[in-house]
Amino acid sequence: MSGMTAPVLLAPAGSLEAVRAALDAGADAVYVGLKGWSRGGARRELAWDELAAAQREAASARRRLQVAINTIPKPQERAQLFERIPALLEAGIDEVIVNDIGILAALRRRFPGLRLTAGIGCGAQTVADVAFFRDAGAHAVVLPGTVSPTEMREIRTVRGIAVEIMIHMVEEFVLLGKCWMPSYVHFKSSPLPSLSRSQTGHESDAPEGALSGLRQTGSMKRGGVGACFRICQQSWELYAGGRRVDARLFPSRQISRIAEVKAYAEAGVDVLKLQGRSLPVGLLAPLVRRYREAIDGPTAPAADETRSAALPATWAVVGR
Amino acid sequence: MSPAMNQFELNTTIANLRDLRESDLRDYDGVYLGDIYCRIYEANFLEQLGDLKEGLRILQDQGKRAYVTTYAGPRNDFLPKVRKMLEASATAGAQAVEVHNLGILKIAHDEFPQLPMHIGGFANVYTAPGVEVLRGFGAVRFTPNYELSLDEINEITAACGAPMELLVHGKMPLGISDYCFLLEYEEKWGIKCPDLCQKELFLKQGDWAMKSVGKGILSGKDVCMLEHLPRLLSEGHRHFRIETVSESPAYRSEVASVYRAALERVAAGDGEVDEGWWDTVRRHARIGLCNGFYFGRSGMDYAGIRPDAIGSLLTISRAES
Repeated sequence: MSGMTAPVLLAPAGSLEAVRAALDAGADAVYVGLKGWSRGGARRELAWDELAAAQREAASARRRLQVAINTIPKPQERAQLFERIPALLEAGIDEVIVNDIGILAALRRRFPGLRLTAGIGCGAQTVADVAFFRDAGAHAVVLPGTVSPTEMREIRTVRGIAVEIMIHMVEEFVLLGKCWMPSYVHFKSSPLPSLSRSQTGHESDAPEGALSGLRQTGSMKRGGVGACFRICQQSWELYAGGRRVDARLFPSRQISRIAEVKAYAEAGVDVLKLQGRSLPVGLLAPLVRRYREAIDGPTAPAADETRSAALPATWAVVGR
Repeated sequence: MSPAMNQFELNTTIANLRDLRESDLRDYDGVYLGDIYCRIYEANFLEQLGDLKEGLRILQDQGKRAYVTTYAGPRNDFLPKVRKMLEASATAGAQAVEVHNLGILKIAHDEFPQLPMHIGGFANVYTAPGVEVLRGFGAVRFTPNYELSLDEINEITAACGAPMELLVHGKMPLGISDYCFLLEYEEKWGIKCPDLCQKELFLKQGDWAMKSVGKGILSGKDVCMLEHLPRLLSEGHRHFRIETVSESPAYRSEVASVYRAALERVAAGDGEVDEGWWDTVRRHARIGLCNGFYFGRSGMDYAGIRPDAIGSLLTISRAES
């Protein structure tokens, strides 16, 4: 990618093994979830000792590690979470992804050494959104892969903040960060994740059970211990005027804009981010490698790859 | 200190001039003009700026608080029109603009600082620190994210004293999309946009139901806080919303009449709910009633002394069209 600064390739990892695989496959940086504090549930998060090991692996390879703490904790949880941040910094981890503007601002005030990314759940899509998050103190903001290189060019007129594009992702029907369909259907209190001394180096700051029931399983924004119930992926019957007229799924698409890697780079995007902390290593490694090659390669991907990476016409944003 | 109980404000939302003219607004204190979901919603105030100015004038002539709402999921290409809409709102005397998108908040704060900002439910206010950040951008009133319980809302209020505007009745927003799947039915139904989303459309799976307005998904059941108004007022809440953007003028006026009477009665020290009020809200609820997330339960649950309030009144035909 001559004549311009190549964007950083930021890969997901849901395990220590996946961190290693992503680094081996050419990721410049890897993001992981902190157990109990990241969106998406415990299956794709790293415990404290795994996190420390992942940081050592990344540092020894001269790569970077980002940690998602992107649930939106309640006040009691927030205090507990903030007490863990110094331990993150001591371990050499200073890049975190958050999902709430208030958490972002509070972390910025208390830990000026943290590099804060406004995650994709913050819902930023426009040049004005990016300017907002810059002014609010974010160092970086993540935009969905529905944002085109043309839009990105305008967005990159905003200086003073890094811009990441989730170039490989599933686009659900509802905009990321703007959905509470699952909790409309199911919503229940859940205990906080166990945080023992062996995991954190800290004693729990509350009696056992005192903080149980604070988490809300079913909320994509506040979950962390459970799952979104994927309401949008279930079959629905459509009724019009009281009559059943169809049975259908909400539309969703896999976005893979690998053919536009160079267009995004030319637009000035700083980071190409891949979605998929739940990906098994066997799928993650070739995915990362493909994007690595697209960034480093001298030419655009082949025409057939271009076609497969383009958004279907029916999914082009209609009627805006 | 909260204002006196009788100093409450009851608001609603209206998308276009036709709906505004057909609506009896006597029981509302204020109206938000505009459809937040779709630029091509029929004669959306947010696109028809002449209509917007006329709508604001109508509200002002009726002595109502004249508010404007804004898009919840904008893209770059929305923003020039958003700026014109904000300018029209400011010059036509809108008393506040509701924002669901933080970029629009920044534009409004930077370019129209005289316009007070209300924060809408899609802006994702979950925390007191979040409220403080948005205050720094000119926000003066907040609709918290719908997922928050009353206890959580009150924690935010206690922490930062922010006035909240709470949905007390109507279909609760659950999500917004960039894509209108109803367009897939234009040919099959022989109905073109923007008439498609004027149909009464529900998505059902067993007991679950959600209402579709094209790019927007709403609760199938109507949030109903009628029997919980004494708690809301006693906890200091004074700004209430009946969400009627996708409802008929009859719904808009009759439900408001119930809530106006109920709020006045509570403010006078009597929390009794008339049977006729129940009849009205149940008649207008196509699927049934719920409390949203106010009591820390699934959004479609109903908690209260009127369990019959949850009963479905919608008779669904299984006949294929």
